Amino acid sequence: MLVPALVVEDAPLLMRPYYAGGDPGPILATMAHVPELTEVAMPFLGAALGASSVDFRTKEIVIVRTSALLGCRYCVDSHTTVALDAGLSFDQVLALRELAPSAADSDLASAFVSSRERALITWIDAVAFGRGSIAAPANEAIKANYADHEIVEITVLIGATMLLNRYATALQLPVGASTLERLAVEGFGP
Amino acid sequence: MSSIAEAVEAGVLGERVWFYANYHCNLECTYCLTESGPNVDRRMLDADWMVERAREAKELGFRSIGVTGGEPFMVSSMPSTIARISEILPTVVLSNGSLFHGPRLERIVEALAGKDVHIQISLDAPDAVANDTKRGEENFADVCSAIPRLVERGLRVRIATTTEDLQQEDHDRLCALHREWGVPDEDHVVRPIVARGRAALDGIGVVATQADLPAELTITAEGAFWSAFGPTVRNGRTDTDMLITRVTAPLSRPAEAMLRAAGGRVAGADATLGIR
Repeated sequence: MLVPALVVEDAPLLMRPYYAGGDPGPILATMAHVPELTEVAMPFLGAALGASSVDFRTKEIVIVRTSALLGCRYCVDSHTTVALDAGLSFDQVLALRELAPSAADSDLASAFVSSRERALITWIDAVAFGRGSIAAPANEAIKANYADHEIVEITVLIGATMLLNRYATALQLPVGASTLERLAVEGFGP
Repeated sequence: MSSIAEAVEAGVLGERVWFYANYHCNLECTYCLTESGPNVDRRMLDADWMVERAREAKELGFRSIGVTGGEPFMVSSMPSTIARISEILPTVVLSNGSLFHGPRLERIVEALAGKDVHIQISLDAPDAVANDTKRGEENFADVCSAIPRLVERGLRVRIATTTEDLQQEDHDRLCALHREWGVPDEDHVVRPIVARGRAALDGIGVVATQADLPAELTITAEGAFWSAFGPTVRNGRTDTDMLITRVTAPLSRPAEAMLRAAGGRVAGADATLGIR
């Protein structure tokens, strides 16, 4: 890791509640070097990534796909297991992880038959991987399939995931041992 | 009255704000909290910046300022900086007592005589062998000559004895010395070595947690910490366990975070351990 993760004995005073349940993970344990930033970032990230009016499955599609597009090994691996828990199939997670950024890709189309989820993936690809304004087909598809407040949440979630993608990649955060074991069991091992 | 002022009034927060003005020092004491020495990263606070924070401290309801290091008087502008700070709030500056001679002494006297400033000088034992073993060669002689010199010139001096096990006989001999120099008993502080910094590496001192350390907001170049015993250094790395915030200006930000940290504090042993 580029920056050492703070263990519980080194945790700043206002960070200690985050360690109450044990190892808080490398994102928190590195961000804890700046308590006042962590105190703001964690509630935001919790609201963006955690339970909300957008369902669990949709959120995990967003996180895994965005992380794959940004090339974040830590986030892709960590959320592959979460996505499986959210009800995505092996093929669906594999398609999100490994396919090039194109919702029209045939493997992706075969993995996701729902037009609503196809629209979602098209939107993720456009927001996370595109540059400049979003093309009309992506706009029209997301508007046709999601309510305004859902579009807002999904788009914020893409942005929050991109922040974490670059943070985890730049700071070289390691994937946890238990996650690697689960990935191997599920067939996502190296 | 601000929430900070109310907390100071109620004793929830200490009335003093500490500045770690610098980390370099001409000595390398065996129990130094900050691993200070001649060749360490100086990590200095800017003079004008400290004065501005002192103004904010007063506005927030703090009642005094402490300046420590390193050895603050290694910084040539420190006498005038302390003089400016003392115009805002009563100030105590901690020193190893080894630099009060020659032109530097004249600058210090000129700047600080008659000001609301105490210079707190470390003296750990009533004889050279015991004192200098911990603090460095000739330190006892330096301090013994410096304190009367400062008192004679109208500067107010306190003496701090940091010790693991001060015997009554040695305590009495120390008191005889400071009384002879004109330093009254109330200006002689005896405190334990705290097992942080270099002392922790050497396995000496009392173990102190947040609950044991005074709730005094302490500002360094690396952030704001709980207590002047918080921003300690081990193997060249500053401890983070007493870190409050990295942001230090405006002072209200670390002060408010400090107040939140104090909110969850359980009654500790700071009084019984005598850490001050």
